[in-house]
Amino acid sequence: MCLLAVSSVIVQVAGLSVLELGCSPESSGQLPFSLYLITILKLYVCVSWQVSHSSCITAMVLKVFFPSCCSSAESGILVGRWLSEQSSAVILAVVHFPFIPFQVKQYLSEVQQVTKISVSVLGSWSNSKQEKEENLSKFLEDLGTIFSHEPWIQISKEGDSKFWSCSTFQKHSNNPKEEEVILIYYDQRKVMLSHLHPPLDTATSTDCETDDASKLSAIFHTVAKSKILFMTDRYDDGPIKLTHWQSDGAEASIIVELMKQASVPACMLLTFLLSLVSGICRSRVLKFWPLSFLWSKLSTCEQLGHRLQHLQVISSNKKAQTQTQLMRKANIFVSLLIDVSLGILLMSWLYRKNRIGHLADTLIPVADHVAEELQDLLQWLMGAPAGLKMNRALDQVLGRFFLYHIHLWISYIHLMSPFIEMILWYVGLSACLGLTVALCILSDIIALLTFHIYCFYVYGARLYCLKIYGLSSLWRLFRGRKWNVLRQRVDSCSYDLDQLFIGTLLFTILLFLLPTTALYYLVFTLLRLLVVIVQGLIHLLVDLIDSLPLYSILLRLCRSYRLAAGVKFRVLEQQDGKPLRLLMQINPLSYGSVVQTYRLPTYSCYPKDSWTSLCKKLFLGELIYPWKHKGEKQD
Amino acid sequence: MEAVAGRRWQKVLYERQPFPDNYVDQRFLEELQKNVHARQYRYQAVVFQSGVVAQQLCSVCVFVVTWWYMDAGMLSPQGLFGAALVSSLLGYVLFDAVDGGAGRWESGRTRWADLKSTLVFTAFTYGFSPVLKTLTESISTDTIYAMSALMLLGHLIFFDYGANAAIVSSTLSLNMAIFASVCLASRLPRSLHAFVMVTFAMQIFALWPMLQKKLKALTPRCYVGVTVLFALAALAGLATISTVGAVLFTSLLLAICGLCPYCLIRLQLLKDNIHGPWDEAEIKEDLSRFLM
Repeated sequence: MCLLAVSSVIVQVAGLSVLELGCSPESSGQLPFSLYLITILKLYVCVSWQVSHSSCITAMVLKVFFPSCCSSAESGILVGRWLSEQSSAVILAVVHFPFIPFQVKQYLSEVQQVTKISVSVLGSWSNSKQEKEENLSKFLEDLGTIFSHEPWIQISKEGDSKFWSCSTFQKHSNNPKEEEVILIYYDQRKVMLSHLHPPLDTATSTDCETDDASKLSAIFHTVAKSKILFMTDRYDDGPIKLTHWQSDGAEASIIVELMKQASVPACMLLTFLLSLVSGICRSRVLKFWPLSFLWSKLSTCEQLGHRLQHLQVISSNKKAQTQTQLMRKANIFVSLLIDVSLGILLMSWLYRKNRIGHLADTLIPVADHVAEELQDLLQWLMGAPAGLKMNRALDQVLGRFFLYHIHLWISYIHLMSPFIEMILWYVGLSACLGLTVALCILSDIIALLTFHIYCFYVYGARLYCLKIYGLSSLWRLFRGRKWNVLRQRVDSCSYDLDQLFIGTLLFTILLFLLPTTALYYLVFTLLRLLVVIVQGLIHLLVDLIDSLPLYSILLRLCRSYRLAAGVKFRVLEQQDGKPLRLLMQINPLSYGSVVQTYRLPTYSCYPKDSWTSLCKKLFLGELIYPWKHKGEKQD
Repeated sequence: MEAVAGRRWQKVLYERQPFPDNYVDQRFLEELQKNVHARQYRYQAVVFQSGVVAQQLCSVCVFVVTWWYMDAGMLSPQGLFGAALVSSLLGYVLFDAVDGGAGRWESGRTRWADLKSTLVFTAFTYGFSPVLKTLTESISTDTIYAMSALMLLGHLIFFDYGANAAIVSSTLSLNMAIFASVCLASRLPRSLHAFVMVTFAMQIFALWPMLQKKLKALTPRCYVGVTVLFALAALAGLATISTVGAVLFTSLLLAICGLCPYCLIRLQLLKDNIHGPWDEAEIKEDLSRFLM
């Protein structure tokens, strides 16, 4: 109950979305529980006060976001941004003594011009090692008159004491009174680099959440925008000395610059080539009926088209507008890179030690073996399979029909066999386009090699479908009813004598022939499902490689602060009369939401029908297709 | 109840009366009526009407007996076909002669349509007879017999005997008979047998009842004679196969034509149907004129 109240209080105080009250051992261990409770009560009081006098600025709780790297800086003045609507100050840097106020102002206005955020002097910072100088504090108060800012924040750190004193100074009220101040430490580098999720433009949360998120993002935005401020080096001999976060150096920057320079012509060349290729692909010659039909059925072509689009996205010389687009580009690039490297690995494995030849030598016997197995299966079906009573005449007819098909198939395979190795050799070269392309080719080869199974399935399904529909309508005739199309229901109907006779005759014949057809259909459907499942697994793998946001996942793994889901606060120290000190930590985004946010769209359409409708289709003998091209194939 | 003397109870709802809601007086039972709709049957008429059931039973019997002879090889398909053809032609002539062509004129059916139907029957049956022959080869004979028996029973149950009931469906009845005949025909040795058998089934289950209905409506005497002759023929046929069956069938026919009408008339005397003011309201007048 109490903790709940605290968390709700602090959410209001900080005005932020995510908060965890850190009860880590070093903080709560030092803190007696009674003190803790007092703090809670105090916070509660001040918050209620804030709520009741929300219009009055003097009553607000002041939040000072202080970069943790500046905690050991020498005395100076605090430069940052004042967010008046949240009554919080985001400190960006400390300007050291001595300085000329005019130069500081000029410098700040320059920064403001570049970054488009209002950077100003917010207060003073004194870091006195041992001695306590009276005149210094007086001087610091006087500074407030030079840099006019409301309120004037004075933070002073005494020696190695953990408790800093912080006071605000209102000029017009003339009485420097102690106000409620919360010091929040943040890691300047991490906050600058991190990207807050969900992005504001796609946030579809409720108003309250959006409000909180925008408050938090204002702070993140301020720090990220003032990147130019951090560019100045420690050893720069400027008129002003600043303390803020600095990168440890940019030794590799020459290489990076060279690569940047080289990437522009490379991208242009790539774009030109891609436009050429896509122009050829879009040309009229390939749009005629049999060819376009063929292209849409081969998953290799689909995958190649998909990759072409990816390349176009990468090589476009337009700069990514938002963080999401940037991440998308990076994800596509990494996925493409990994895909191609895996493909080349596969190719190097394939073309060593004449593995292609071995593969071709085993492929033909395997296809032969499959055909033989099918022949055995048909022979078994033509007998009395599993002791079932089949119609002998129909059984023989169907069996011979399918056997003839297999015979055709075997002769076709044997005709092809001298060329198989050559075909495989050339097809294997395509693995340099990526592992996914190689997998798609494998799927297509499987589809081509099991074409006879597909044919059997189609014949069986059509025959079975015909019987099922015929039986269902003749059963209505048998009962003296018929399907009324206009009313969409079954009505009674008086038939003629000859209609009745022929209908019943056909009904009897179909009924007694149904088990034979159904058995053939069942066996060939099972075979077909096997092939479809294998192809589906391959396509699942391809989709996985295509759609997995690898760059985002790597970023989350190595630099978890870059993808922020929110922040949490840990209580550092607390003492009566001293400002509360909190440490702001970044909550990384969970892996699930990383994948969900940055998943790349795939081109394959998954089946829209559920398992029950699939079973219904199987029962009614309607044709089912593998997961890809589902919508297109139903013509 | 007598405490509120001085006021007579009235059977009205619009006045407040000092009686409980469920009160009635002595006049209540005066309106009692008994057996208003009960009909008095004459034995003769009931026996005459039961002839339809007997006829249909005999038809099934004749069909089964014929199939038996065919299956045993004692009846050549050609002979049966010839006999059936002759009797069909006779029946066809009789069908028109009985009412002097009035029925044909009313229905507007031409002789050309009849010929077309006949051709369709014959052609389809002849075309499908090889299929019929091999249709049930792998199915056990007992299954076929059971199925045929069930279907013939269903034919007898759903047949339109002239009663006005929900269960009656002449379409279903005829279809069941055809199904049974196809099943039985597929057991015969050759495809010609199957063809003749199915044709015969069509004649005896579809055409014969039509002629009977007409005979019954127009010449009752002749109908009685035909029924008796048909029953005797069926009995004779059955007797050559099994004496026990013939005896049982005779007793069944007698029960249907003699015992059942007698029972009906006896039980009719015990009928005790009461009607009175407690009945639901019954709208007797034709209200359609109010709808105008």
